Amino acid sequence: MITKIKETLLEKKSYLISLFLSVFAALLIGAVLMIVTGYNPIEGYAAMLKGAFGSSRVFGNTMAKMLTLCLTGLAMAVGSQAGMFNVGGEGQLFLGGLAATMTAVYLQGVSPFIAVPLAFISAAVAGGIYAWIPAVLKVKLNVSEVITTIMLNSVAIYLCTYLTNSSGPLRTHDRGVMAGTDAVPKDFMFEQVIARSNLSTAIVYSAVIAFLCWYVMKKTSVGLEMKITGENERFAFFSGLSKDKIMIGAMVASGVICGLVGMFEVFGYQQRFLPSISNEFYFDGMLVAMIMNYSPLGIILMSFFFAVIDIGANAMELSIGISGELSEIIFSIIIFLMAAEGGISKAIQERQTRRKVRARLREEARQ
Amino acid sequence: MQDSIVRFENVSMQFPGVLANDRVSFDIKKGEVFALVGENGAGKSTLMNILYGIHEPTDGAVYINGRRIEKFNPKEAISMGVGMVHQHFMLVPSFTVAQNIVMSKEPRKLGVLYDLKGANRETERLVKEYGLEVEPEAKVGEISVGLQQRVEILKTLYRGADILILDEPTAVLTPQETEELFTVIRKIVKEKQMTVIIITHKLYEVMSISDRVAVMRRGKLVGVEETKNVNERILASMMVGREVLFDHIERTGEPGEVMIKADDIYVADNRGLLAVNGVSLEVKAGEVLGIAAIEGNGQSELVEALTGMRPLQRGSFYICGTKADGMNPGQIRKLGSAHIPEDRVATGVSLQSTITDNLIIGKEKLPAFSKYKLHLKQSSIARYARELAEKFDLRGGGINTRAGDLSGGNMQKVVVAREFSFDTPVLIIAQPTRGVDIGAIEFIHRQITDKRNQGCAVLLVSADLDEIFRLSDRIITMFEGKVTGEFKSGEIDKMEISYYMTGHRGEEGESRDN
Amino acid sequence: MSQLSEVFNIGLLQNTLRTATPVILAAMGGLLTEQAGIMNIGMDGMILVGAFVAVAFSFACSSAAMGVLMAVLAGILIGIFFAVFVVKLRSDEFIIGMALNTFAAGLTVYLLRSIFGVKGTFSDAGIVSLPTVHVDFLDHIPVLGPLLNDNSIFVYITWILVFLTWLFLYRTPYGFWLRASGEHPESLETAGISAHKMKFIASILCGVFCGFAGAHLSLGYLTMFSEGMSNSRGFIAFACVIFGMANPPKVFLAALLFGFLQALGLRLQNVGVPADITSTIPYLATVLMLVYIVVSTDKKKKNKAKKQLEKI
Repeated sequence: MITKIKETLLEKKSYLISLFLSVFAALLIGAVLMIVTGYNPIEGYAAMLKGAFGSSRVFGNTMAKMLTLCLTGLAMAVGSQAGMFNVGGEGQLFLGGLAATMTAVYLQGVSPFIAVPLAFISAAVAGGIYAWIPAVLKVKLNVSEVITTIMLNSVAIYLCTYLTNSSGPLRTHDRGVMAGTDAVPKDFMFEQVIARSNLSTAIVYSAVIAFLCWYVMKKTSVGLEMKITGENERFAFFSGLSKDKIMIGAMVASGVICGLVGMFEVFGYQQRFLPSISNEFYFDGMLVAMIMNYSPLGIILMSFFFAVIDIGANAMELSIGISGELSEIIFSIIIFLMAAEGGISKAIQERQTRRKVRARLREEARQ
Repeated sequence: MQDSIVRFENVSMQFPGVLANDRVSFDIKKGEVFALVGENGAGKSTLMNILYGIHEPTDGAVYINGRRIEKFNPKEAISMGVGMVHQHFMLVPSFTVAQNIVMSKEPRKLGVLYDLKGANRETERLVKEYGLEVEPEAKVGEISVGLQQRVEILKTLYRGADILILDEPTAVLTPQETEELFTVIRKIVKEKQMTVIIITHKLYEVMSISDRVAVMRRGKLVGVEETKNVNERILASMMVGREVLFDHIERTGEPGEVMIKADDIYVADNRGLLAVNGVSLEVKAGEVLGIAAIEGNGQSELVEALTGMRPLQRGSFYICGTKADGMNPGQIRKLGSAHIPEDRVATGVSLQSTITDNLIIGKEKLPAFSKYKLHLKQSSIARYARELAEKFDLRGGGINTRAGDLSGGNMQKVVVAREFSFDTPVLIIAQPTRGVDIGAIEFIHRQITDKRNQGCAVLLVSADLDEIFRLSDRIITMFEGKVTGEFKSGEIDKMEISYYMTGHRGEEGESRDN
Repeated sequence: MSQLSEVFNIGLLQNTLRTATPVILAAMGGLLTEQAGIMNIGMDGMILVGAFVAVAFSFACSSAAMGVLMAVLAGILIGIFFAVFVVKLRSDEFIIGMALNTFAAGLTVYLLRSIFGVKGTFSDAGIVSLPTVHVDFLDHIPVLGPLLNDNSIFVYITWILVFLTWLFLYRTPYGFWLRASGEHPESLETAGISAHKMKFIASILCGVFCGFAGAHLSLGYLTMFSEGMSNSRGFIAFACVIFGMANPPKVFLAALLFGFLQALGLRLQNVGVPADITSTIPYLATVLMLVYIVVSTDKKKKNKAKKQLEKI
C-alpha cells in the first residue's frame, strides 16, 4: 500500500517536474524572443510582474482574469471528460453574456432577487442550447463536434456583433456610446471586491462552479461514467451506460459554464454587452485545460499562472511596448514543450528497459 | 545434408510485462516446410516478426544464409528474400489486388508515374506462373478472405521471396481452401526450391504438410523434431508441458425454461451488407449453446445484435421472456443478461482506466457503492474490487493498475469478473479465451461451467472448436449467416462438424444454399 | 428584379474564384494529411504564418516572388514542426493543432508589433502584390472572358496544383504510399516503406500548400497583413476536406461552393443585408454541409441492407 502511494506520488512528481521545466523553458524562450526583437527581457518580465501584482487594483484584475480562465478551462475539461471537445466556448460565452444582459435590461426596476437569478438562468440556457446543437449532431449523426463548434463560434460572434453594433437592433440609445447594449441596472451588478478593479463577487459564484466541477468529475458516479465514456465510447455503450445522454449532458454543462462566464464578464465589470466582450478568452482557457491534462484541480491552480502572464503581458505592452501577444506565445510553447517532453521520456524509458532486460538475460545465461 | 537458411541464436524479446521469446535457438534448412507450433502466446508470431524485421530482438542474433541481420526492418528482410503472410492481412482495402501486390515495387512510366496497367500485367504474369487465380482489378476490401490470402502470397512472390512465412494461414480458411493452400505450398517448395515456415496450432496440419516441426511454449523452444518421428499426441504434450490440462469439467443439472430466444433475425454488418440471414435459436436455463463457425460467418454480428450493440434488420429476440429487439445494451442488461465481447480491447475494457473502475462500471449506482446514486463510496468500491481481484485470480498489478498495462489473460479476467459478478440468469459470451494463456483458459472455462451448473443460460461463440466441444451441451453451426446444423454435445466429432461449418447441411438440410 | 441582378451577376462568379482560392489551396494540403491519417486542425495557424511571412518579405525585398518563396519555406518548417509532434512524438493531434493556431496568432501579432511597429493591420505601399494575368484573346469571349481574365496569378496556379495533387495521389507510387500510410500503415511498413516518412511528407506538403494559401491571402487577395486574417479559413478548408472525402476534385468543388457562398454574402451586402449577417453564411453552410455528407453516407448503408432484405 505504501509503495503504491509512493508510486502515484512519483508519477505525479515526474509530471510536475516536467511541467515546471516546460514553464521555465517557455519563459526563457520568451526572453530570447524579446532579445531578438530588441527588448530587454528583464525589463519585460519586471513590467509583467508589476502589471499583475503592482497594486491592489491590478491584482484584482489578475484575479478576475483567473476566474475567467479557470471557468473556461473547466468547461473544456467537463466536455472532454466525456469525450466531447467543445471548441465552441467562445460563441457560447457571447450568447450567454448577451442573453443575461438583455434579461437584466428588460427587467429594469424589478427586484434584483428576481432579476439576477433570471439573468443567471438565461445565460445558462443560451450557452447550454448553443452547445446542445453540436452535441446532438455529434451523438446522433456522428458529425465532428470540433469542426461544428468552431464554425458556430464565428456564427455566434457575427450574430452578436450584428445585434449590438452601431446599427444593430439591440444597441443602446445612451448618448456617447458607440456600440453595445444598454447598461445592466446598477443594482443588478455584482459588487466589487477590490475597489476599481475587475474583481467582483463573481469570485463566489466561480468558486461554487469550480467546486461543483471538481466534485462531479472526480467524486461521483456521473463523473466515472463520463470518464469511461470519454475513454472508450463503445465500452461505455456495451456496459449499458446511457452514453448519448452523458455526452450531450457533458457538452451542455460545458456550454452552460461558458454562458455564465459571459454573464460574469458583463455583470462583474463591463456593465454592457459589447461585441468585444471576449478576446478569445475561451481559447486561453482551453490551453490551460490541455496543459493540465483536463484535471480540474490542476486547471484551478494553473489558471492563476496564466492570468499573471496574461494581465502582466497587457500591462507590459502599455508600459514598454512589447506586444501583449507574448503571453499566447508562452502558453503555446508550454504545450509544445510538454508534448515533446512526454514523447522523449517515453523513448528513454523504452531504451532503459531494453538495456535492463538484456543484462538480466545475459546474467541468467551465464549461471 | 541441406544448408541452414535461417538461424536463430539465443533470441529474446521483451515486451512490456511479457518475455515473449526467451533465448530461442534453432536452424531452418533450405527447401523444407518447417512448422512452428505452440499454444496462444507461446511466442511463435513474435519470433517470425523478428525474422521479418518488424521487431528488433532485445537480445540474440538472427542469420539468413549465414549473414547476420544487422538492421531489423522489413525492407532489409525483403531484400534478404524473406516474405511473410501475417495473420491479420497487410492489405490496403481500397486498393486493387494488383496495386496491393506491387506495392513498394510498382512498375513505372517516365520514372515517377505509376504504370497502373503494368501492375495488372505483372499480376497476371504471377497468376500464370504460380496458378493462384486472382482478379487483378478487384478491390481488396471486396474480395473473400481466402482470396485476400492469395493476394498476400502473391505479394511475397512478386517481391522475390525465397523464404515464405505463413502465420496461422488456415485460421480463416475452409478445408477445401486449406487443401488448395497446401497444394500451392508443396508446389513452390518443389518447383521453386522455396523454404516455407508455417505457424499453426492445428497439429493435423503439421503432420500433413511439414518436414520438420519446432514446438514453443511460453516463449521458450521445447524442441525441434523431424515430423515423421512424431505424432499429434507427442506434439500436444510438448506444447502444453507435463502438467495434464483440460480435465473433464463436471456438468450437472437439467435444462430449465427458455431464457434466450431468437426468432428469424437478420443483421447487417458494418458495410451495410446482411451478415446474419434469418437465424433462430433457443437457449434454456442451465444449458450452454455453442455456436461453431469459421470467422466472418455472421456469428459476431449475431452476438452484437443479441447484446444490443447492433440493430436488427428483421426478426425479434427475447431475453428472459421479454421482447428485447430495439433495446440498447443497458436495457438488455436490465432484463438479466451479461456479456463478454469478442474484442476486449475495443469493447470490453477502458485501457486508460484502473482495474477498479473497469470492475465497478455498471454497478456504480448501486446503494453499496454510491450515496443517492451519486457520491461514490471509494472505500467500499476498493474493497469490492480487491475481493473480485482475489476471487478471479487477477495478477500483474494492484487494483489501481491501468487495465492497458495488463496481459491479455488478466485483462480478460477483468472482463469475466465484472460480467459474471452481475449474477445474471443469461450470459452471452464471445471468444472468451482468445489470446489468453493456458492457465487463464482453464480458469475461465471453470467459471463458465460453474455458471451453467448454477442455472445460467449461456450462449457461447468461439472459433476454438475444442472450447466449443468442452463447454457446450448443444452446438449449432453457422455458415454465411445461416444455421447449417444442430447437434447434441458428443453426437458429433470435429471433422464432421467442420463439414457443416463450411456450408454443407445434413440430411435434414434444405437445398436452398448455392 | 434589379436587386437580384445586383446579387447574381458576373461579379459574383469572379468573387467566387477569388474567395475560394485560399481555401482550395489549404484544403489541398489538408486532404494530403487527411489521406495520411492525420487530423490536421492546425491549418489555420499555418495559413496565418504564411500570410505574415509573405507580406514581411515582399515588403523587405520589394519582391512578391520572394514573399511567396519565404512563405513556402515557412510552410515547410511549420510542416516539419507539426509532424515532429504528431508523427514522431505521437502527441495528441487536437492539442498540437490548437496550440499551433494559438502560437501562430500570437507570434504574427507579436512580430507585427515589434518589426513594423503597428497593431492590427500592416498595409504599406512597399508591399509588392502578386501580378494578375491578362490574356487579350479572352477579352473576346463573353462571360468566360471577364471571369477568367485579370485574376491574381495564384488563381491559375491553384487550378494546376489541384490537378497535380490528384496526379500525385492517384498516379504516382508515392501517392499510393501516402494513402496507404493513412488507410493501413502496417501494410506499408511490411512492404518496407516507412509510414512515418510518408506522414512527414504529407505534413510538409500541407505546410507548403498553407504557405501558398497565406501568401495568396496577403499578396493576392489583399495586399496587407492583418491580425487573425486567416479568419477560420483553415477550419473551413478542413471541413471541405471532409465534405469532399479527401478527393482532390471533390474537395475543389466543395471549396468552390464555399467561395460561392462567401461571395454571395459580399454581394448581399450591396443590397443592404448587414455584413455581420452575411458573414455567417459560409460558417453555417459548412455545418450544414457536414451534416448532409454524414447523413447521406449513413443512408446509403441502410439502403444496402434494405435492398438485400427485399430480395429474400
